[in-house]
Amino acid sequence: MSRIACITGTRKGIGRHLANHLLAQGWTVVGCSRRESDLEHPNYTHFCVDVTDEEAVVAMVRKIKREIGPIYALINNAGTASMNHILLSPKKSYDRIFDTNVLGTFLLLRECGKQMSRHGGGRIVNFSSIAHPLNLEGEALYAASKASVESITRTAAKELANYGITVNAIGPTPIETDLIKNVPEASMQALLQRQTIPRFGTCEDVANCVDFFLRDESAFVTGQTIYLGGVA
Amino acid sequence: MATNREQVLQIILETLHELGEDLELPELLTADENTRLFGARSALDSMNLVNFIAEVEERVSEDIGVDILLANQNAMSMTHSPFRKVASCTDYALTLINKEEQAAEA
Repeated sequence: MSRIACITGTRKGIGRHLANHLLAQGWTVVGCSRRESDLEHPNYTHFCVDVTDEEAVVAMVRKIKREIGPIYALINNAGTASMNHILLSPKKSYDRIFDTNVLGTFLLLRECGKQMSRHGGGRIVNFSSIAHPLNLEGEALYAASKASVESITRTAAKELANYGITVNAIGPTPIETDLIKNVPEASMQALLQRQTIPRFGTCEDVANCVDFFLRDESAFVTGQTIYLGGVA
Repeated sequence: MATNREQVLQIILETLHELGEDLELPELLTADENTRLFGARSALDSMNLVNFIAEVEERVSEDIGVDILLANQNAMSMTHSPFRKVASCTDYALTLINKEEQAAEA
């Protein structure tokens, strides 16, 4: 039987691309999002789950094990962003960003990690962003949430290493998805100029990093964050 | 029908017996209700307690069909931890299971 990957946020954007990418490689993919997905494939199963809902996440991860099989790879892709000057950032934005980006990542990591620990190990790939190392103006809350994700990534890597589980993160540059649709063009161009390679990233760039982290040969790579576009 | 204490105790003891075999800890092979799960007099170290809790949660999910989180906020803040002995852990898990079962019936 093919290995099982759980990808959060598969209804659109990077998550959707990664689901198709792994399906094409022969993986069995379980995806989730708050709303229904129109992705149809014999090896794809979709759950309507809010990643911030602890009970729903627990139920989904255990149902996957019972009905499909143990999860080998978790791609913690679901995320949300909001641009605002820090002095004008409402608490509601803080709650939404940290709930989805940090709490959601933690809950999935915890539940899938438990399962992987009982089934010989696995791979966890979290999502950071270049907004954190570049300290992007207007993205204080988003960047802080991604700093938290990186911290969880490094600590979880240590705590889960004995189980044969690697935990890494990808820090994409802006990609032309819904996440950045409201960012002014001038701001976006200024941001791209701060990258070593000043262009938009693509879903294929992200998939390439995911492939690297998921490879059997990457068993010795853990606790790392790879930034795209040459950002350090 | 509500899950009974004997079913939960059996899951917990089976989990300990298998951990005892895997980890070569003879104390766990003869585990009973009085077996300590953590502390200086327990055969389980902290990592193995984590393994034990994860395994019990998974078995409860598979054998009983109820999803519980043993290491939840209540368990971590209770003055007398439910994880001190097999008996207290059994009672605690049964409480969580029955609560979920009642919620499902409502």
